[in-house]
Amino acid sequence: MRDAAPSRAPKVSLRGGTPPARSPWRGGGWLAAGIGLLLLFPLSSPDAFFLDVFTTGFLLAAFAASWDVVGGVSGQITLGHALPFGAAAYSCALLTSFAGWPLPLAVAAAVLLAAVVGAGIGALSAPLAGPFVALLTLALGEIAHEVAVGHTFFSGPGGYAWGGEGGIPVALPWRDASPFSSYYAALVFLCLATFGMLLFARSNSGLILRAVAGSPITAQASGVPIARFKRLAFTVGSAFAGAAGAGFVLHVGRATATDLSLELSFQAATFAAVGGRGTIVGPAVAAIVLHVLFQGLSLPPSARVLLYALTLLVTLRFFPRGVAT
Amino acid sequence: MASPLPQVLLDGLFAGGTYALMAAGMALILGVVKVINLSHGAFFTLGAYVAYALAGRGVGTPLAAAPLAAVIGFAFGVFLGKSFVNPVRSHPFALPVGTLACALLFEQAAQMVWGPHPLSVAAGAPWIGPGGLVIRRWGVIAFLSSAALLGGLKWVLSSRPGLPLRLIAEDEEIAGSLGMDVEAIRYLTFGGACAMAAAAGALLSPSGAVTPTMGRAPLLLSLVVVIVAGMDSVAAIFLLSIGLGIFGNACAWFLSPQWSYVALLATVCLLLSARPAGIVALAGRRD
Repeated sequence: MRDAAPSRAPKVSLRGGTPPARSPWRGGGWLAAGIGLLLLFPLSSPDAFFLDVFTTGFLLAAFAASWDVVGGVSGQITLGHALPFGAAAYSCALLTSFAGWPLPLAVAAAVLLAAVVGAGIGALSAPLAGPFVALLTLALGEIAHEVAVGHTFFSGPGGYAWGGEGGIPVALPWRDASPFSSYYAALVFLCLATFGMLLFARSNSGLILRAVAGSPITAQASGVPIARFKRLAFTVGSAFAGAAGAGFVLHVGRATATDLSLELSFQAATFAAVGGRGTIVGPAVAAIVLHVLFQGLSLPPSARVLLYALTLLVTLRFFPRGVAT
Repeated sequence: MASPLPQVLLDGLFAGGTYALMAAGMALILGVVKVINLSHGAFFTLGAYVAYALAGRGVGTPLAAAPLAAVIGFAFGVFLGKSFVNPVRSHPFALPVGTLACALLFEQAAQMVWGPHPLSVAAGAPWIGPGGLVIRRWGVIAFLSSAALLGGLKWVLSSRPGLPLRLIAEDEEIAGSLGMDVEAIRYLTFGGACAMAAAAGALLSPSGAVTPTMGRAPLLLSLVVVIVAGMDSVAAIFLLSIGLGIFGNACAWFLSPQWSYVALLATVCLLLSARPAGIVALAGRRD
C-alpha cells in the first residue's frame, strides 16, 4: 500500500516535478479501523451520556478539520473560526423558528451564509501577513460574539425573550432524537465532511494553497494570485465550519453565544496543533480524543478550557513547527 | 443634572492615562522581543485581582496594590518570556496562538479561584469639583502614577541603561556581537512589560467590575495604540491612549459598556484593513 503509485497525479506539480514518494492516503488502514470501532461502539449499549459526548466530539472534529483547511493547509492562522460556525448555527435557529423555513432549506442557507462570511473574512485578511491575520480574525469573531450576547429581542410564540446568553432555539421537525441516530448521523457527517476536505486539500487548489502557506512571495512569483487563493481557503473552510455549526445546533437544539466564542475558535486551533496542522485527519482525531477524554472526566467547563490551554502550550513549546512536520 | 460630557472626558482621561502604561509595555515587547503578546490583557486582569485580594485584607489603596501586582506580573512575565516566548518567537503559528492560550489559561484560572461574577474594589469617597464634577480619587492616583512611570520609562530609554533595549530593537545581531545577552534582555523586557500591564490593572481596578475577561478590552486598546502610534515615542503612546480612553468611555456612557469593547474591536479591524502592512517593524524583520 505504501509503494502504490498516487491514484491521481496532480496536473500542476509545484513540488518540482518529482512524484510524491508516499501515497497521500497512507494511514488509511488505521483510519478505517478507527471508523469501524466507532461504528461498533453504540452496539456495546453504552450510557446515553457517552453517546452524546461522542456525537458532540464528531461535530467538533469536523469543525477542527475545517480550521485546518484555513489554518493548516493554507497557513492563514485564524482565531475567529467560530464566526462561520456560529453564523450558521444562529441562521439555522433564526430561519427555522423565526421565519418558519423548512429545516433542509434552512441548513442549506446556513452553510451558504457561512461560506459567504468566510469569503468576507478572506477578502479582509488577504492583504495581511502572519500574526495580523490572527488579530483580524480574532477581532471579527469577538465582534460577532458581543453582538450575539448583547442582542435580545422579544419574539416567537408566547413572546419569550430570545437572544442574549440564552440563545435562540431551533424548531426541529422531530421530538427527542434518539442518541443512537444522532451518533450515527454525526459520524456519517464527519466522515463525509473530512473526505470532502481531504479531497480539497489534495486537489490542485490545495497544493497551491500549501505553496502559499510555505512562502507567499515564492507563490506570487510563480504566478499564483495569492489573494484569490486565500479567499478560496477561507470560503471552503468556513463552509465546512458552517456545516459543522448547523449539525451542532441540530444536535443541541439551541444556538447560543458560546457558538461564537473565542474559546471555541481557540479549541479548534488546539485540536489542529495537537493533531498535526495541515493533515486534516489529525485535527479531527485529536478533537475526538481530547473532547471525549476531557468531557468524559466530567470536569467543570473552566477546568476543561484550562486543560486545553495547557495541552496546547506544551505542544507548541516542544513542537513549535507542528506535530506533523 | 449638568451635561455628562465633562465627567465622561475626565474619567476617560484618567482611564486612558493608565492604559498608556499597559500600551507602553506592549510597545516595549514589540520593539525588543518583536512579538505580539496576546496575553498582555491577562496581566492587566492579574493586577486587578491582586488589588481586589489586597482590598479584601484591608489594604484599600491601589498605590499599595500596584507595586505588588507589578512584582507578581514581572515574575510570571519572566517565566513566560523565558520558557515560552523566547523559544517559539520565530514561529508564526506558535506565538499568537500560544500567548492567546496563556490568556485563556489565566482567565479560566481566575474564574476558578474568584468565580465568574463581577467583583468590585472600593475606592474611597470621591472629591466633588466645580459644577458637580466628580473627581475620583483612584483616577487621580492612577493617572499621576502612570504618568510618572511613563516619564521614568522615557528617561530610562533615552539614557545609558536603556541603550541595550534600543540597540536590540534596532539590530539584535550587533547587540549580540557586542557581548550583550540578547536572550536575557528579551525575557527581562517581557517581564518588565508584563509588570507594567499588571500595575495598570491594579491602578484601574476601582474603575469598574473586576471579571476574568476584563483584560480583553485593554489588550485591544493597546494593540490599536501600537499599530497607530508605533513604538518609538512614549509621548505619542500616552496621548493616543488618552484619546482612546476618552473614546471608550464615551461609548460606554452614551451607548453601553459593551459597545466600547465592540468599538475597539471594530477599530482594530478598520486599522488592519487600512494598513495591511500593520506594524512595520514586525512585518519586515521576522526571520
